[in-house]
Amino acid sequence: MSDTHCPSCGSCGFPMESEDDFAGGNREAAYCSTCADSNGHLKPFDTVVALNADYFVRHQGIDLSAAVELARTLLQTMPAWAGNQSTLQ
Amino acid sequence: MVGIRDEQRAATRQQILRAGLELVRQSGFGKTTTGEIAKLVGKAHGTIFVHFATRDALVIEIVKAIGSSLTDHLARMSSDSFGLDQFLDAHLAVLREAEELHSALLQEMSRLPASARAYVMAMQSGVSARLGRALQIDIDKGLARPFDKVALANIWIALTNHYLLNRDLFAPGESVIVRHGAALKSQLLAIVEKETAHV
Ligand SMILES: [Zn+2]
Repeated sequence: MSDTHCPSCGSCGFPMESEDDFAGGNREAAYCSTCADSNGHLKPFDTVVALNADYFVRHQGIDLSAAVELARTLLQTMPAWAGNQSTLQ
Repeated sequence: MVGIRDEQRAATRQQILRAGLELVRQSGFGKTTTGEIAKLVGKAHGTIFVHFATRDALVIEIVKAIGSSLTDHLARMSSDSFGLDQFLDAHLAVLREAEELHSALLQEMSRLPASARAYVMAMQSGVSARLGRALQIDIDKGLARPFDKVALANIWIALTNHYLLNRDLFAPGESVIVRHGAALKSQLLAIVEKETAHV
């Protein structure tokens, strides 16, 4: 295991390598382009849950409602979202 | 300003995490106790809980570290211009680096906090996204026949997980990736191989 990581999104944990991965194409951004808008501000929790769930659905064919649950569980362990509750079903 | 205390704190946290990873690598999550982790880093047992509120919180960080190490290595070892052949080599190399940890994670997932499973699925989605891109490159180059990307990724994940889960049976006492990786790769490539014209 190496200790040098490429920066990962503080919201979803996605590793950010290329410029496009960073919010607004800014390499200093704390969040990825999925989780934050072009100014680097986090999108609302429900929106980020839905976008992350969509990633599970598109790449692994997971059932949508199960994917929403997975995304919510994952995001709630991230410092950016500690204590957030989602109302998405 | 980041003071020496903060630096020490971060260093201790990192030490605990690394010790946790080492113990999980040796004997799995279930048999790794916070007491043993404390002993390995030479700190009082209570120190663990200064950095991680509960054992579960530490377990989640260990799982995250396994996942981010995989996605990180994969990001560095593979490229967006890779075809399937190169991508599968990169993925196998990355799995090889931490196969005991991946095996422990898969074997013990049902007994870990719910978020561990979410991390495993996120990690697999990352693998799937890259595999899908690599397949598309081969299709565009006429090297592979058109095939459902998600289906092929799920076949690959199922295959590698099966061998990692049962590594003690497929390759007792040695690396299951070293022993079977090349064969698994050929099996996957054969699925999308173009039919050669028969005379
Ligand atoms: Zn993100």
